[in-house]
Amino acid sequence: MAAGWRGLLGLGEVLGVAVEALRANTLRSILTTLGVIIGVAAVISLVSVGQTARNSVVGEFASLGPDLLWVLPGKAKEGSFGAAEEGRLTLTYEDAQVLAAQGDAITGVAPVLQTQIQITAAARRYTTTIVGTTPEILHVRTLSLFAGRFLTDADLARRKRVAVLGTSLARALYRNPAAAVGRRFILGGRAVEVVGVLASEGSILGLDLDDRAYVPFTAAQQIFNLDYATFFFVKAADPAAVPRAKREVERILLRQHRGEEDFTVLTQSQLLRSLDAILRILTVALSSIAGISLVVGGIGIMNIMLVSVSERTREIGIRKAIGARRSTILTQFLIEAVAISLVGGFLGMLFGLTSSWLISSRLFQAVPTVATIVPIVALAFSFSVAVGIIFGVYPAYRASLLNPVEALRYE
Amino acid sequence: MTPVVRLLEIAKVYRLGKVEVPALRGVSLEIARGEFVAIMGPSGSGKSTLMNLIGCLDRPTAGTYVLDGQDVSRMSDDELADVRNGRIGFIFQIFNLLPRLPALKNVEMPMVYAGVGRAERRVRAVEALAQVGLGHRLQHASPELSGGEQQRVAIARALVNRPAILLADEPTGNLDSRSGEGILAIFQELNTAGMTIAMVTHDREIAEHAARILTLRDGRLVRDERVERPRRAREIIAAAP
Repeated sequence: MAAGWRGLLGLGEVLGVAVEALRANTLRSILTTLGVIIGVAAVISLVSVGQTARNSVVGEFASLGPDLLWVLPGKAKEGSFGAAEEGRLTLTYEDAQVLAAQGDAITGVAPVLQTQIQITAAARRYTTTIVGTTPEILHVRTLSLFAGRFLTDADLARRKRVAVLGTSLARALYRNPAAAVGRRFILGGRAVEVVGVLASEGSILGLDLDDRAYVPFTAAQQIFNLDYATFFFVKAADPAAVPRAKREVERILLRQHRGEEDFTVLTQSQLLRSLDAILRILTVALSSIAGISLVVGGIGIMNIMLVSVSERTREIGIRKAIGARRSTILTQFLIEAVAISLVGGFLGMLFGLTSSWLISSRLFQAVPTVATIVPIVALAFSFSVAVGIIFGVYPAYRASLLNPVEALRYE
Repeated sequence: MTPVVRLLEIAKVYRLGKVEVPALRGVSLEIARGEFVAIMGPSGSGKSTLMNLIGCLDRPTAGTYVLDGQDVSRMSDDELADVRNGRIGFIFQIFNLLPRLPALKNVEMPMVYAGVGRAERRVRAVEALAQVGLGHRLQHASPELSGGEQQRVAIARALVNRPAILLADEPTGNLDSRSGEGILAIFQELNTAGMTIAMVTHDREIAEHAARILTLRDGRLVRDERVERPRRAREIIAAAP
């Protein structure tokens, strides 16, 4: 009779014995399983939340338009996310005008002078983002109006104190966004008239893009007593023209700034790459921490299996006396360990998916996709089987080594 | 005809730390097919060690052991496991059943390790239990069975793979005399049907149920005697008040 064949034939039987042994110590089995449940649930929820975050953030940035470029003040170091020399403002309104006039691959430039500030409306204070810009931004950022009108060139030329509100801000200030047009709020001690309300843009990285007020760039300069722009939006003629637009912006600005490269041009794909890298590192770091709890769960299994082996020394002796081989005993205990970790893995997966579902829908208004879930389920099962095997091997090996005579003598 | 058990100058030395304790000092004996042998001796005489060696639970330090025509004294652990499974039926003083499992599952166990299919296992286990008079208690676990009944389940388990020899280590030691006599009656019936049996006991009266008595002292075989008229267990049970 072939040796391997004999070992395999008893597998169904061995499974039955494993279930029996786990049932005999229900509370202990549950507590042991709990360690694996927590570990697997933590790994799964963090990995899938991280994955969903990446998908959703990348998607949000992608939705800004693949033909968008950012011009930031200061020279960015290679590979860094934003401009390195913060606080040094170098971009002027005139730069933006020259860019718009001279760029061939560019269809629009919108300088932005942006600040967080407190405003007062109907005797209530509210902190929001004031975006000083030009009418061009409507085209550059493909914004659309919900009510009223957008900023005009006349507003810009006369530094008129008018504002176009995002829907969230309009709702916060006046309850009904449609009724906001014609109302006034106080900004920097002077009244600003609401002339329009934008259609909703949604949020990005949890930041509400609708909680802001657009005012003429010139008015913002006066109000904040600042000449320079925070950054420029530049729109390329089409997505394929982005590299050409980038070179053009750099050439023109370099000439404007008399050869000093005190600005940085970022394309959307650069931004996406850096963002994606950051989020990936975050996900890996968080999951590694969660992985530690899985290891702790595995040690719990090892501990309980060692206890089980010494408690069942006599049983092992009996089984050996009537013909169980070492491999049979090894398999039996290994299967018990794997059974604990598999049950834990399955429950942990359920908990993990549920929590990641809840977290993702709260934070990113997105749920994990099937493409995200399938590899995670595979991951959970391979993790838990691996934990069971890794931490079950030693106790099972100890059991298989027991001498039958001594095992039978054991009380 | 080849003997079932053939021991040649078997020695067993236990090592306790640095001290060597000889348990058997060269035992040679033969047990022929169909014999019922009792092994006697005071405690410490080496009879349990001898039993473990004959039962292939342990290996001799020196000497040769031929079981059923095959030298088993130098076999590997797995080979010994197969020998224990197929050619030896072991019966212990304290029964050694798996307490959580019903009688039927206990009796099926050696066949699981032998790779016997589920259906055949069931049939043979039921047969073996019927043979020891427990056909009506198939689903009872050990705690629900009396000592005598547990020992009979153990006998059924020992028989179920049709071993070459049945080994019993103080099989009546944990039983009242009436239950013990019942076990001995089963042994005598099995022996009449052709089963070879070796039984360790320290009790002369029990040993006299066998046809031959071997006596050990200090690790040596000191006596090998025939029993002229073995005690008849059935008659003793019938004569009891």
